[in-house]
Amino acid sequence: MSESRPKRGASQWAVAWRRFRRNKSGLLGGAIVIFFVFVALVGPFVVAYPARSYLSLYEGDAGTPPSFKHPFGVEDSGIDVFSETVNAAHNDLYVGLAATLITTLIGVLVGACAGYFKGVVSDVLLGVIQMFFVIPVLLLILLFARVFSVLVFKGLGLTLIVLILAFFGWSGIAFIVRGETFRLKEMEFVQAARSLGAGSYRLLFRHIVPNILSPVIVIATLNIAGFILTEVVVSFLGFGDPNTSTWGLLLNEGFGYVRTSWWVSLFPGLAVVFCVLGFNLMGDGLSDALNPRLRE
Amino acid sequence: MPEKLLEVSNLRTYFFTEAGVVKALDGMSLEVNKGQAVGLVGESGSGKSVTAQSVLRIVPRPGRIVHGSIKFEGEDLLSKSDDDMRKLRGPKMAIVFQDPTTSLNPVFTVEKQLTDILMLHRDLTKEAASKRALSLLEHVGIQEPEKRLKAYPHELSGGMKQRIAIARALSCEPVLLFADEPTTNLDVTIQAQVLELLKQLQKELNMTMVMITHDMGIIADMTERVTVLYAGKVMEVADTPTLFHSPKHPYTEALLKAVPSVKQTRALEVIPGNIPNLIEPPSGCVFNPRCKYAKDICTKQEPPLEKVEEGHYVACHFWRELTLEGRAG
Repeated sequence: MSESRPKRGASQWAVAWRRFRRNKSGLLGGAIVIFFVFVALVGPFVVAYPARSYLSLYEGDAGTPPSFKHPFGVEDSGIDVFSETVNAAHNDLYVGLAATLITTLIGVLVGACAGYFKGVVSDVLLGVIQMFFVIPVLLLILLFARVFSVLVFKGLGLTLIVLILAFFGWSGIAFIVRGETFRLKEMEFVQAARSLGAGSYRLLFRHIVPNILSPVIVIATLNIAGFILTEVVVSFLGFGDPNTSTWGLLLNEGFGYVRTSWWVSLFPGLAVVFCVLGFNLMGDGLSDALNPRLRE
Repeated sequence: MPEKLLEVSNLRTYFFTEAGVVKALDGMSLEVNKGQAVGLVGESGSGKSVTAQSVLRIVPRPGRIVHGSIKFEGEDLLSKSDDDMRKLRGPKMAIVFQDPTTSLNPVFTVEKQLTDILMLHRDLTKEAASKRALSLLEHVGIQEPEKRLKAYPHELSGGMKQRIAIARALSCEPVLLFADEPTTNLDVTIQAQVLELLKQLQKELNMTMVMITHDMGIIADMTERVTVLYAGKVMEVADTPTLFHSPKHPYTEALLKAVPSVKQTRALEVIPGNIPNLIEPPSGCVFNPRCKYAKDICTKQEPPLEKVEEGHYVACHFWRELTLEGRAG
């Protein structure tokens, strides 16, 4: 029995990576994401001014437009927009990634159980998922941010937002995971594993879940963008932590002076646009790469 | 004195669907002695696969065993908890499924297909399990097994996949193996190889095997004793040579006539009609609508399983009167 020996990997990830590599917009998105991650990690150590620093005021540069010394200009308060934008990248990406990580874990767990177990468990879980799905997350964040403003001012503002996003934002993934689990649990390889002694948890988490990771990864990637945008909105509206650098906060600060100090709004705004664009493009690319229905 | 390994009595497995209650098995009995190769033959929908699922107690919802008894190694399986059954599945009994493309997990490498089960039931380290997986692959006749370990199912041919499925089923050395149409989805040339492999493994491991098939040719080749199943009921049970030479049930005769042979010159005789609706099976003998010998009583009274001679049983009102055509050789 002769078989052509595969020289390249054949796992679902290897196959998906090769498909992804051919997708130009996905690669562009990936490049943008990598750029922002790099900036978020390295930036804060490299920029001239620490977060929320009014130093430029004392240097006499407050309110100046973009220049060689201040590439993105300076706010009226003395905050250097470039340093601030870079510092904010760190915080915004943290919110996006942390919230996504937690919501993905919760969503997969709840969704898998909802799709696998029958009867009361499944019905209850479905009800819970649906309930969380219809809740307007943004309004709740604004509400909680006010209610827990004490925490916000203690510097836990970001963590608060992450927690609220995580608590309310997992239902989308749960829905998808539930549907996929439903479909997969009747497949013969699950029956085969059961016939060889596997119990429910093993079947669910070792056999079924690895087969549903594709849509989960795509949604998670798009969620990162979504969560970052939510944070921007929250901070822009003034419900965020005034002591933590975020793009939303910058937009908030620059809002009143858009005509005169336009640089305070433009550059953070562009940062948000490109960051979200990057994750969206990458998410679309991943969707194409992981979607088994597309032919090579 | 042959030891009874599996004793299924009057098993009824029903599927409670929205369209009605499907009586997949309706009073089915089966006896398998240790070391025997037994055949379970019948058309699609006769309940063959459901039998294996019932013994392992993995009948999918909305199916349920509603009646009867299943004894394995003298123990009553129906009274066991699911935890206890899980300890039996793999180490004591296993199924090889029909389609290896769907019965293997698509995201597991060949190695993982085997080590997953090995590490579940045996206290092995990953390295020990990998070694055992390698030797299992050799055992089922896979060339250059080291190269295959990291391959994924979609990279392999049907025959290769089925060998791996067999290796997986045998990984914990079960005493009872159900082979559910293991070659139906394979090319004819590969079929012969896989059947040869199963025969060889059965002898080597002194395994008890239940060969589930609709192919009388496979029955003749692989089994010593055979049960003929139709619409969830037993039609005839006999030693394989006896069944072929002197069948006593019209359905068996029809099945034998439907197998083509190189020497024959007459047209292939098909069994008219289709398998009955299992929600509302025919009254009387369940085969009567398609039976060419059917008389009035056949539509009214269900024939009991009667003894023809030692080891040969048949469920037909007229087995004494009918002279049925068997096959020579």
